[in-house]
Amino acid sequence: MADPSVWQTIGPFFPTRLAEASCTDLTELRGKPASGTRITLSGQVLERDRQPVRNAVVEIWQPDSEGLFAHPADPRAASADPHFLGWGRCATDANGWYRFRTIMPGRRADNASGVRLPHINMMLLASGIMRRLTTTVFFGDERAGADDPVLAAVPHASRGRLFARRAPELDRVTDEAYCFDVLIQGDEETPFFLD
Amino acid sequence: MADTVYQPYADSNQTPHRVEGYARTFTRTPDSFVERPVTLTERTGPLAVERRLAVGTADFTRTSPDGPRAQGPLMLLHGRVVDEDNNPVAGAMVEVWHANASGKYIHEDDGFNAPLDANFTGGGRVVTDADGRFTITTVKPGPYRAGPASWRAPHIHFSIIGTSWMDRMVTQVHFPGEPLNDFDMLLNAAPDGTPRESMIAHALPPRVEAGDASEFEHLFVVRGHAGGGSGG
Repeated sequence: MADPSVWQTIGPFFPTRLAEASCTDLTELRGKPASGTRITLSGQVLERDRQPVRNAVVEIWQPDSEGLFAHPADPRAASADPHFLGWGRCATDANGWYRFRTIMPGRRADNASGVRLPHINMMLLASGIMRRLTTTVFFGDERAGADDPVLAAVPHASRGRLFARRAPELDRVTDEAYCFDVLIQGDEETPFFLD
Repeated sequence: MADTVYQPYADSNQTPHRVEGYARTFTRTPDSFVERPVTLTERTGPLAVERRLAVGTADFTRTSPDGPRAQGPLMLLHGRVVDEDNNPVAGAMVEVWHANASGKYIHEDDGFNAPLDANFTGGGRVVTDADGRFTITTVKPGPYRAGPASWRAPHIHFSIIGTSWMDRMVTQVHFPGEPLNDFDMLLNAAPDGTPRESMIAHALPPRVEAGDASEFEHLFVVRGHAGGGSGG
């Protein structure tokens, strides 16, 4: 038995070549297209006083278009899309923007997961972030999400901040574009989870 | 098989979110956190990430197999990734980056007045074997000035992508006996005792097989109780 290692910041010098551009596109794996609706998810990472955070690393993890994970913990893993990795990484640009192209995650309701709205887990790593910051991005109608156990854990007043908004102006290459800004600290800050 | 148990990190063995003297930690920490249940999305994670992330050589001291060596003390670091029950984490993606022997990073934001080294790659990626082990060949990083009156002791950054959302780990490994260890703001932000000591690698006794390299070993513990384990 041992306690987990001590988390540390990635610092200001995370190599740009470890955040290669190919990590921002989840819509294919080794040249094979993933199934589902292709979406763009982008937004700005902001710290206190809504200042943009450049040189941050955003990572995401999500189920496939049917809500499944290609992972032994998922009893339905055998049915998961073999051409969808579900994981991505993007370094923020000079204005704090990240952008992923991915697949709209599926809604799911079964014994393994309860009722989950379409969602994407997101974490932030950056200089000054000593332990990763984790949140979840939801898609769809907040009113339909009362049974989602993660959304239900969030105070009513701030649940709306976890929903991506349609933003067709941000990208016309994929089928649907969404915006999700991340406000790390301050009034109306994004809900982050005790990790 | 029973589900792996994941508990929230304990403040008693983790660095605080806000570190005195590190201004950005105060503007980049949320005012509050929300407790969340561990659902299937947290129990899962990407497997065989090398399908996306290119894995190159584990030798960071040269840009080609027969190329000249980077300057500085050659070293091997033998790492092992385990869970909280000492079960090896096989197939984990380990990403490594650090300063060269002069204390300079390959990064446009690094303003430290020290030379780059054309033969030093700055780091790379390795995947753990069935026993959770990996070895990197590199040069020992130098210390560097990190603020008006602030120095970083020699250290290597590690990022580990294991098997779930919950066992992701980013940490730094220091070296034993370094004078600047006493003054390194981040090393000393870790709780005294076991947490701080767990961030310092162990030197291994010299042996013929290591050739011109000194050797260190380090244990990386990622979150999760899968049950069983060989460490008791």
